[in-house]
Amino acid sequence: MSEFVAVSLSVNGVRYDVAIRPWRTLLEVLRETLAMTGTKRSCGEGQCGACTVLLDGDAVNACLYLAVEAQGREILTIEGPAGGDPVLEQIQASFANNGAVQCGFCTPGMVMITKDLLSHNDAPSEDEIRDALVGHLCRCTGYVQIVEAIRDAAGALARRAGD
Amino acid sequence: MTYLMRLPKFEYLGPRSLAEVCGAIAGPSGNEVMLLAGGTDAILQMRRRERVPRRVVGLKGVAELDFVREEADGGVAIGAMTTLRSLVHDPRIAARYDLLRETAAQIGGHELRNVATIGGNIAGALPCADLPPALMTLGARIRLSSARGDRWLALDEFFPEFGRTVARADELLSEIGLPRPAPRSGGTYLKFHDRQSMDMTVVGVSAWVALDDEGRTCRDLRLAYANSAPTVFRAKRAEAVLRGQALTDEGLEAVAEAACGESRPRTSWRANGAYRLELIAALTRRAIRRAWDKAASQGGAKS
Repeated sequence: MSEFVAVSLSVNGVRYDVAIRPWRTLLEVLRETLAMTGTKRSCGEGQCGACTVLLDGDAVNACLYLAVEAQGREILTIEGPAGGDPVLEQIQASFANNGAVQCGFCTPGMVMITKDLLSHNDAPSEDEIRDALVGHLCRCTGYVQIVEAIRDAAGALARRAGD
Repeated sequence: MTYLMRLPKFEYLGPRSLAEVCGAIAGPSGNEVMLLAGGTDAILQMRRRERVPRRVVGLKGVAELDFVREEADGGVAIGAMTTLRSLVHDPRIAARYDLLRETAAQIGGHELRNVATIGGNIAGALPCADLPPALMTLGARIRLSSARGDRWLALDEFFPEFGRTVARADELLSEIGLPRPAPRSGGTYLKFHDRQSMDMTVVGVSAWVALDDEGRTCRDLRLAYANSAPTVFRAKRAEAVLRGQALTDEGLEAVAEAACGESRPRTSWRANGAYRLELIAALTRRAIRRAWDKAASQGGAKS
């Protein structure tokens, strides 16, 4: 009997039909099978947030999610802007403009949790921003700029919505 | 280098209904089959090879286990696959079981709460799980389902020893039932841990208080503890100390002392046993005070 199972994954709006082993995590399949290495692997236990992706709009740790269980759901990764997501593009611009990217390793996860936050709350307070980041570690310790970048992105998106 | 390790090989089943789940775990399969709810604990346990199942039965596709339903008797029924995020945001939970909302909100970050479930947090049988103490003090009952039928039991009776539940290999925890909130009652869950809500609970205390009709003395007190013994447990002797009495410093001290007497905290790299006893005493006093204030601020109708 073959170990492989046929799975259809929808990533950034594109459907991928892949044959995977059922014990592969979503993180492994994104990085190794689909060669989308923007989503980072770090702690492997849901502590650091480097592997955060959105499933049907909600942030999850891809290292703690079986790829077979992501079937039938819309997966959004940091490669999303290639698909033209204007909110993700604004968040990334705000991160760049506010010096929120140092070594950059935590940035994809930070950007994805920001997308989740701003899609549920278009004017988050500083406490709400910091609460959203609770599952994310930046070992360059640049949290102040990250919080500023998120506030900047929220403001820019609100202004755009008001135009 | 645990973080680099693949999960062990397993066969995966993704049933779509409770009946299909019961069929998949029926028969003499024993520990070779693992139920996977949110997976935020179970996937780590597999990565560490603490659990090496031959077959994994994933529950995420079983929509009928994801619900919050108001019952005719004034209670609430919660499906086992309801996420912690849903518990935090459900207005029926917030209005009547604020203790449960508050406890769920203290677990992990957004990514974890979007995936972790109430059923997984209970059935994992971890002594550090935060929801079981809160649910025990709310008087929760649980439904175990199997191809043979259903049975209900008090959550207090679910954990016979470390890491184990009384569920048989062919049963799954399918539903949690909460009784109608008592008048003038309120509860709180306090936990000690290192990194906001991201680190493992060192000690957790849930206190629930119901006051008399005048709101002056204690009609009922319930206390349950995380990581203070090999299993989550109710401290029933400590619960009896304040019954019928007003709140005093001496009374609180006596409850805290009794609770320490019923605890068996272990020493680990996180904290030694003596330190955990200090935490149990301090958090017990603090939690009872807060629960008492919440109960006193409630009218006759809500929890």
